[in-house]
Amino acid sequence: MAIDLNEAKKLAKLSRLEFTEDELKKFANEFEGILSQVKAIDKVDVSKIDLKESSAKILATKLREDIVQASFSQCQVIQNAPSKKDGAFLVPITVDEEGCK
Amino acid sequence: MSYLDLSLREVRDLLVKGTVTSEELVRECFDKIKETSDLNALTSTYFDMAINKAKEIDLARKNGEQLGVLAGIPIVLKDNINLVNTKTTCCSKFLENFVSPYTATCASKLINAGAIIIAKANMDEFAMGSSTETSAFGICHNPIDKTCVPGGSSGGSACAVASKQCFGALGTDTGGSIREPAGFCGVVGLKPTYGRVSRFGVVAFASSLDQVGPLTRTVEDSAIMLGVIAGSDEHDMTASLEPVKDYTIDLDKGVKGLKIGVPKQFFNEQLKGEVREALIKALDTYKALGAELVEIDLPSVDTALAVYYILSSAEAASNLARFDGVKYGVRADKYEDLVDLYYKSRTQGFGSEVKRRIMLGNYVLSSGYFDAFYRKAKRVQLVIKKEFIEAFKICDVIVSPTTATPAFKIGEKMQDPVSMYLSDIYTVPVNIAGIPAISIPCGKDKNGLPIGMQLLGKHFDETTLFRVANAYEKSTKEGK
Repeated sequence: MAIDLNEAKKLAKLSRLEFTEDELKKFANEFEGILSQVKAIDKVDVSKIDLKESSAKILATKLREDIVQASFSQCQVIQNAPSKKDGAFLVPITVDEEGCK
Repeated sequence: MSYLDLSLREVRDLLVKGTVTSEELVRECFDKIKETSDLNALTSTYFDMAINKAKEIDLARKNGEQLGVLAGIPIVLKDNINLVNTKTTCCSKFLENFVSPYTATCASKLINAGAIIIAKANMDEFAMGSSTETSAFGICHNPIDKTCVPGGSSGGSACAVASKQCFGALGTDTGGSIREPAGFCGVVGLKPTYGRVSRFGVVAFASSLDQVGPLTRTVEDSAIMLGVIAGSDEHDMTASLEPVKDYTIDLDKGVKGLKIGVPKQFFNEQLKGEVREALIKALDTYKALGAELVEIDLPSVDTALAVYYILSSAEAASNLARFDGVKYGVRADKYEDLVDLYYKSRTQGFGSEVKRRIMLGNYVLSSGYFDAFYRKAKRVQLVIKKEFIEAFKICDVIVSPTTATPAFKIGEKMQDPVSMYLSDIYTVPVNIAGIPAISIPCGKDKNGLPIGMQLLGKHFDETTLFRVANAYEKSTKEGK
């Protein structure tokens, strides 16, 4: 089972990653090997499996109260930002004066 | 003899007696770090901070103050565990300059118990790998044979413990990332039950599988460290409310009367050579110690690797979507608009294995494939989990090799992702089932490379794992 180049391009877009055509071809080839391994799950009979069983336990976990409390300072929140200004994250313009870009 | 040849528990006894000071231990560790720097086990070291903390603890001890169970003991953290005001890079270019604004719960618990964090350890980028070769900051070497990998992704943590740069380390394990490097480096590595240790402050790879655990020289040290880091956490809803035990309590009870499950799916014709011989010998040892061996059946366990690659990649694709070049991490120099900034920053910041997993994750989550891959894998996961629960009705622990071979050569598997993924074939089922497992040394091959044995336990029954592991370690006296 393989994926074609168009499918690889679609995946790259979903992943917000850029590749050269050659890199994508390499990925598509590697995918063939990986997906043939992954298809092993097809041989397991899951007709009697109810996924709700696995989520039940997580719901039994104690939830904390929704209380307003101190968190990071603004300074800490932006301390690792690659670009910042006046205590905010700086990004390219996404909305111009007419309301769209 | 150096203090560095001792176990964590032994050195703790000497600290308590006053035979050695914490400052002396920290200095010895840093001498060793310098001497073995070619291994590239560490990414950051904190000499000044460690010495100051050691002096504080030595003074407190002198003054007769009550100290924690790890007081004054040098420990290393994997570089995906946040420690306030230090770098947490996940060995990715993306986080090269990221400075943590807070400390992970597991690290806080160590510090509260008096441990001295001396360094952060090398790892595969974002914990995706089995050899520590995908680190953006250089390959880590196996301390027993530098031409071999230390395993991964917690390769730096295992290497640091094996090369005596510290007395214990924390790693993370999503599909074998503590146990495989422990096996390759000849140390003890524990993947606790999912939820036993808080993941708060640990950079997520696959949130439903990730678990923090200790790498140590002995089983007893592992039990001591688990006792410190285990427990619920209001910051991590998946951290279990199950009470924390004294995990050292049954260490010396022996294995007489216990039943050790031997899965026929693990002890088949695929298990070969010296690893097979070592495991068979270990089973004989257990029999001689009074344990009963019972054959068990895990019919679907061979599909665990497939389930793992679907679920872990899907969760990774989702978790790593936050790396956008805006809030933290690198940002590309040139871009056209906001979306292009995402593309360019991610493309430049992530290494090729991380990109491969993100692509695979988005594939199995994309429309048309979601049911066939993701949903099906979630169902198969439950089948595997049920098979383990069923198996544990007739045995107390299950035994397997940690890996099919000892450490492989650097570069050997880098061009073939499938062969690299197969390194985890014995460790992955444990994460899929959410059970605990420990890897302990079990002899060496003809080249002197360590062989690892894995013991798998019931959910939250780490105590029995330590008991069974300790019985073997004591009988062979090769645990240090």
